[in-house]
Amino acid sequence: MRATPFINATIAALVLAGCGNPQQPAEELNVATDSTAIIRSERTRNIFHSIPSPMETAGLLKKAGAEYDRGILNDVKNVDKYTSASKQAINLGIYGADLSYASVYNNTQESMLYTSCAQKLAKKLDVSNAFNQEVVDRMEKNRNDRDSLLSIISETYLDVDGYLKENQRDNISALMVAGGWMEGLYIATQVAKTHDTPELRQRVAEQRLSLTDLLELIRTYSPDDATVAGVLQDLERLDALFGQVTTPTGNSTMTEENGVATIGGTAPTATLSDEQLKAITEATAAIRAAYIN
Amino acid sequence: MKQLFSLLALLLALSIPATSSAQCRSFAKNKCMPGMAPYKFNETFNAAQLAPGEEAQVDLTFYSGQEYRLLICSHPILGKVNWQLRDAGGNTLTQSTGDAPKDHFDFKVATTQKLTVHIDVPAGDKGGNNMLTVGCVGILVGYK
Repeated sequence: MRATPFINATIAALVLAGCGNPQQPAEELNVATDSTAIIRSERTRNIFHSIPSPMETAGLLKKAGAEYDRGILNDVKNVDKYTSASKQAINLGIYGADLSYASVYNNTQESMLYTSCAQKLAKKLDVSNAFNQEVVDRMEKNRNDRDSLLSIISETYLDVDGYLKENQRDNISALMVAGGWMEGLYIATQVAKTHDTPELRQRVAEQRLSLTDLLELIRTYSPDDATVAGVLQDLERLDALFGQVTTPTGNSTMTEENGVATIGGTAPTATLSDEQLKAITEATAAIRAAYIN
Repeated sequence: MKQLFSLLALLLALSIPATSSAQCRSFAKNKCMPGMAPYKFNETFNAAQLAPGEEAQVDLTFYSGQEYRLLICSHPILGKVNWQLRDAGGNTLTQSTGDAPKDHFDFKVATTQKLTVHIDVPAGDKGGNNMLTVGCVGILVGYK
């Protein structure tokens, strides 16, 4: 009788693992025996950490009227410099953000260059399953269809992130997300140097909200990982600079405008003083320079 | 022989999380993302295998000037999951319950803010069997 749970677990494992069985639909449900209940009872609450994507940030910059500036992006020639997995992960995020930025602004030629860089790093990180030649071919085929291209990039980002997490490489995923977020902030602050509008300042100031989420995400990883610890220090440095920015903390109201539900906030629109913007711009540039070099 | 079985069981057990997570990603892509149109998916993958009685929570940042679709997608085996969208003060702005289920919510925010999506999978009747049902739940956001 004592062997029963063990056998059940083994059978369940065999069924769940699938072993490449082509008949099993990928989204098939899982049914496990009660032998897993003990493990599950210890994690009944699942907390996700969600960071706005570089593509959404790029879209916000475009809506704010910012011009495209190719000169601020990471040089494609740098791609071969990244030999450690942590540098590759951070720069996969950075090149991914550059790819999103170029694509949102419909710069097809640069989109393909950054696709090539991102794919190269994905291959080095052994994430080729999620970012393979088929993806590149699809992007090439849709290079003049902006919406399709953006859709393929979004799907690929999801696949790379998901693939890393599924293979217990969450720390690599977190570094990629941190790299992408940092590049988004770098682009926004660099663009604000030449296109300093209240709306663009607001968008930079609002990054405080996602920075809080990113900090929570990075803090879930072991400080024994030197790169993760370094990134955490960088983010905490930025957090101190963002510290004075006001963001909504209280109750919200919900109304309907033209048939669309609108959620109102209780805090004024976030903004930055000249000094704050300068300090954040300089700190971001220094951190990002260390990441790409 | 016993050691061999133990090793085999360990190796197989270790392969479960990756396989089930991959299934969850595939579920989110194939079954949930089509419901996002005409909104653009925001690339953020929030999905997990949940069992009846379990909860999940995610904080999401929504920017003013954009329209959003919040899409909650769960495997039919779990039945209708309950979810709530809460503000920073913890107040419920909208929700889906067994009596009034909805799988998505379209909205915009007047001020950029962080909102929390809270999900709970109702504890189902196991019907006297000894099985624990697990299904994928995805929290997806689209914008335009």
